Amino acid sequence: MAVMNIVQAVKRALDEEMARDERVVVLGEDVGKRGGVFLATEGLYQKYGPDRVIDTPLAEAAIIGAAVGMAAHGLRPVAEIQFADYVFPGFDQLVSQGAKLRYRSGGQFSAPMVVRMPSGGGVKGGHHHSQSPEAYFAHTAGLKVVIPSTPSDTLGLLKTAIRDDDPVVFMEPKRLYRAIKEEVPDEEFTIPLGKARVRREGKDLTLIAYGGPTVEALEAAGELEKAGVSAEVVDLRSLVPWDKEAVLESVAKTGRALVIAEAPRTASFASEVAATIMEELLDQLLAPVYRVTGFDTPYPYVPDRQYMPTVTRILNFAKKALDY
Amino acid sequence: MIKDTWKFEPFTEEPIRLIDEAGNWIADFPLDLKEEALKKLYRDMVRGRLLDERYQIILRQGKASFVAPSAGHEAAQAGMAMAIRPGSDWLFPYYRDKTLLAAIGYPVEMLYAQMMATRLDPNKGRQMPEHPGLKELNVYTVASPIASHVPPAVGAAISMKIQGTGQVVLTTFGDGATSEGDWHAALNFAGAQGAPIVFAAENNRYAISVNFEKQSGSPRISDKAHAYGFPGYHVDGMDVLASYYVAKEAVERAREGLGPSLVEFLVYRYGPHSSADDDRVYRSREEVEFWKKKDPIPRFERFLEKQGLWTPEEGERLREEIKAELLAAEEKAEAAGPVPPEWMFDDVYGTPYWLLEEQRQILLSEL
Ligand SMILES: Cc1ncc(C[n+]2csc(CCOP(=O)(O)OP(=O)(O)O)c2C)c(N)n1
Repeated sequence: MAVMNIVQAVKRALDEEMARDERVVVLGEDVGKRGGVFLATEGLYQKYGPDRVIDTPLAEAAIIGAAVGMAAHGLRPVAEIQFADYVFPGFDQLVSQGAKLRYRSGGQFSAPMVVRMPSGGGVKGGHHHSQSPEAYFAHTAGLKVVIPSTPSDTLGLLKTAIRDDDPVVFMEPKRLYRAIKEEVPDEEFTIPLGKARVRREGKDLTLIAYGGPTVEALEAAGELEKAGVSAEVVDLRSLVPWDKEAVLESVAKTGRALVIAEAPRTASFASEVAATIMEELLDQLLAPVYRVTGFDTPYPYVPDRQYMPTVTRILNFAKKALDY
Repeated sequence: MIKDTWKFEPFTEEPIRLIDEAGNWIADFPLDLKEEALKKLYRDMVRGRLLDERYQIILRQGKASFVAPSAGHEAAQAGMAMAIRPGSDWLFPYYRDKTLLAAIGYPVEMLYAQMMATRLDPNKGRQMPEHPGLKELNVYTVASPIASHVPPAVGAAISMKIQGTGQVVLTTFGDGATSEGDWHAALNFAGAQGAPIVFAAENNRYAISVNFEKQSGSPRISDKAHAYGFPGYHVDGMDVLASYYVAKEAVERAREGLGPSLVEFLVYRYGPHSSADDDRVYRSREEVEFWKKKDPIPRFERFLEKQGLWTPEEGERLREEIKAELLAAEEKAEAAGPVPPEWMFDDVYGTPYWLLEEQRQILLSEL
């Protein structure tokens, strides 16, 4: 067992997959000698060389579009977008080319590729280093979307994403990169996409979260316990496909749910989960399902942390659900 | 009146240079700048350098969370600043332009206020440090996504042309920016429209760790203008007079209706890419030292000294005077106090939205 953080887990997943399968290549801005601006590809250039760890020009359309072509031709590219906020110049390639290649070619072509991107706020980076744009991708048929929140989940899910036959958007909550460390087994393992993980068991209230705010959800659950409320925390881990069964099972038990995410609320993935719960469990609910999210503004520089669902905000909504 | 004599040839293989390393005027035309203008160029460069140094200090003091070092870019920026009409022409800058902004009269206390997100920042603390903007001075607020400001710069220039205002746009960016699709789409459109715009590449040879050889198969950025149908100038951007004269000519061409130009300024960034970068991983100390010997400020001092316009004592006096000015500006910016959190709900739209008012109440209840 080795203790590692999320960046180290990304690096290990890439290293193991590159060693296992020589079709796996990494491309992106500064991924070579620099090892990526967050050091997630550190050492890979030295180990695998410039043909498998490609420093690209500063052009996300070229990075993602070329990854689609590489994938169609037989490689397994893992593209790094330096910040999720910078995926937009490559958005067309991702949603028009990558996402739809299998479908529009009647299954003849496909794009088995991963687009990794650090996402979310809490790093004092203003809107262009803090956004959580997962809804755009979840809304685009043909893309899978994964957002881990622990080192072991990152390792197991990224390996699965690389082996997946479809394009996977892999979002890494950057504020957790070095904030969470845990012991990770030395032997190889993978984690299937589409399986949520119950991070904490409880019976009065379900806190459904993914990515960065799982930390605040767990902290809020700890606070609630002190007040005699038993909260269950479900970490979705993967948005497409998402684990409806696990969510409904938990909410059927507790009767109350908050869906917690950093992204703005309007047309969010949190809204998708909340709507599904209300459609399927209406008669078992003891309170409305509340969405506890970022605000519907661009992510501001001031304030940084309070834009996101804080523990205070989660507790306020928990009280609303419990008092309903 | 359209001039038919222009000083500079586009698409030279060697950079255009007007003063050599020793400070000699080597141009084939006479220097026609007055003492006052030469001193302004010098002052603007020193001011930019000292401001950059002060930013490092406020970073260490925890008053700013990020700095994009600009030392090494001063000559190109001071030269460009003197080539435009501040307050009339529009500027679409990028994040490494503090010398340029200070030189066109962007109040330094407002630059500091942006760095520290205090109430004196006209952008209301919405963005991370090094992202200023000031409507009053026609400075379009800096955006982080590389090259994303270049198409809007072209749009403003087309508007100037349609409205016949006689204004010109100057837009700056790094070498890395020239790889983005937005950049190419913008230059192509500007060329097709003959828009009054100057595209200025501050080529410091690196986009974070990626050197220009990996950025492009083309040896020069200036060459790319050829494909868009307008001139491209390859300039020694550590020569403040070459920077000024070429920028001036490009601006004049635009103003006279001859359309866009691309000017590539060869510069070097002495510091890391940003306060979050470690440049030792991708470039040698010898390389950095080599470029430090070509520092644009001492080079121009040698020139001024030969013209009888500079002594070390005068240089020192000027530095002390600027330092005092900067300190006063910093204090003023800080005294304005931090931007309040609830300001975040303003300016999302031009009209109120109930959703944001609801959310403002949520935030206020949490503070
Ligand atoms: C669209 C986009 N992609 C990636 C980034 C991350 N990034 C910030 S600065 C930078 C390098 C820019 O280099 P260059 O254009 O040469 O300007 P310089 O910083 O060297 O002055 C990168 C990749 C970004 N800001 N925007």
